[in-house]
Amino acid sequence: MNEVPDEMSCRIVELLPAYAAGSLPEVDRDRVSAHLVSCARCRADLAAWQAVAVAVSPEVDGAPDREGPPPDPAQLVRLVLTRSALDPGGSEPGPGEPGPGGSRSWPARHLRYLAALILAEARLIRLAVPVASALVMALGVVVVLAGAAAGSAASGPFTSIAAGDLLTLIAPIVAAVGVAGAHRSRHDPAAELVAAAPTSGRLLLLARLTLVFGYDLALALSASAVLAVTVSSEIAIAGMTGSAAGLDVLVGLILTWLGPMALLSSLGLLVAVRFGPDVALGTVLVLWVLRVMADGGLLRDGWAARLILDAWTTNAAVLAVSVAFGVAAVAATGDSGPFAREPRTGWRATHPT
Amino acid sequence: MPRTEPENDAALLRSVAAGDAAALHRLYERYGGPLFGYLYKLAGDRMIAEEILQDTMLAVWRSAAAFGHRSKVSTWLFGVARRQAHNRLRGRAFPDFVPELPDVPDRAAGPDELAIAAAGGTPVAAAIDRLPEHHRDVIALVFVAGLPLADVAEVLSIPLGTVKSRLHHARAAVAAELIAQGVSE
Repeated sequence: MNEVPDEMSCRIVELLPAYAAGSLPEVDRDRVSAHLVSCARCRADLAAWQAVAVAVSPEVDGAPDREGPPPDPAQLVRLVLTRSALDPGGSEPGPGEPGPGGSRSWPARHLRYLAALILAEARLIRLAVPVASALVMALGVVVVLAGAAAGSAASGPFTSIAAGDLLTLIAPIVAAVGVAGAHRSRHDPAAELVAAAPTSGRLLLLARLTLVFGYDLALALSASAVLAVTVSSEIAIAGMTGSAAGLDVLVGLILTWLGPMALLSSLGLLVAVRFGPDVALGTVLVLWVLRVMADGGLLRDGWAARLILDAWTTNAAVLAVSVAFGVAAVAATGDSGPFAREPRTGWRATHPT
Repeated sequence: MPRTEPENDAALLRSVAAGDAAALHRLYERYGGPLFGYLYKLAGDRMIAEEILQDTMLAVWRSAAAFGHRSKVSTWLFGVARRQAHNRLRGRAFPDFVPELPDVPDRAAGPDELAIAAAGGTPVAAAIDRLPEHHRDVIALVFVAGLPLADVAEVLSIPLGTVKSRLHHARAAVAAELIAQGVSE
């Protein structure tokens, strides 16, 4: 009969810490209580555990509540929500459970952030700007197509030239006006919000540029595609064949506007960053009018006319200068955006103190 | 330690994952006490324990959706708290009143008395505060957080047998310390 109590004692001993801690299920608790009545060794063991439990419990050991009550729930939750809002980047997964929130790797999180930034910028752009850009571009395409329809059936090369002439004028000015306006000014309804945003002004400008220039680029590409299809079908009718011809036409059309578009836009941006969007818009428009006049022979033939006609093309030099202008503009923006050094328009973004 | 129905906890955590701040409030009301007690035991300082508690609830708020329902909510919560405590306490200098090793050379002003005073006056509490961290962790989870031993094993990611042996080792170390000081357990 000796073995049974010993074996039981063994199992009971294992339960004593939890018994002292009060975390034992009721069934086990009753079993231990019943056993303790008859087992002095287990009672002694329990006393030791209880000494530990009492020593670490907050309410006792001579100085009641030495750690004090836990922080107030309302206050703690408010602090947590504030921290969560102020530091939206952090994501701390639970132990061993990375889950969808935590498993995102560094580049994925940054891409998500950039996408959110561009989306937020998109909301700030006035609808009139992209709509007007699209309308101008569409109008240009319609004019060329109408001219082609009105002309003779074998007008393929003519349409191609007309399309190129038109795109080389329209695409750059549409993009440059958009980009010049992309630099934030005090006219911007969101100016104060942006000035207070923790995101660097340089990053915001880049996001907005990506959006505006990307949109105008897409517009010009679609216009070129539509015109290329028309032109190549006319070429086909005229007897020349091949889809390769269509691709050649498309590339030819793109080359008529890509360089000028990049150059005029980057120059507009640089001027906008330095002198504000109004001056930039003026500069861009003046250059554009000069180009139209030079092309029409309305400008006295001199170095200015030749320079502007030479620059209005797509080649490595033009693209390199465009990139340099763009980099200079972004560098000049500074981390705090347009408000660190306000545009020199005589206006101040903030009230004079 | 509230022994609430797990379904209830899981539903609460789902609401937290959906962005319900009131659910976070209720979850904290339910577990704030035990969590704070546990963190206080690990940190040994009220301010630091409050900070870690805040870190913990922030992590819960952000990663509630990541809770896989493979374990109890309470176990998960203590796991998050433990991790946050390790993040914040890692590499900090030993506080004066919680020397990790009982046999460090004497410091100038009676470390035993200091330790006893800081631990609230009892020699047992002081001896527990002198235990190595992995022993203190088990003691805190069992006696302060009030977790069942099986849950403690899950929080610490160690076998149940190791939890039991650590408990016994911790108690033996406390007893040895008290005998060395001439205090009877």
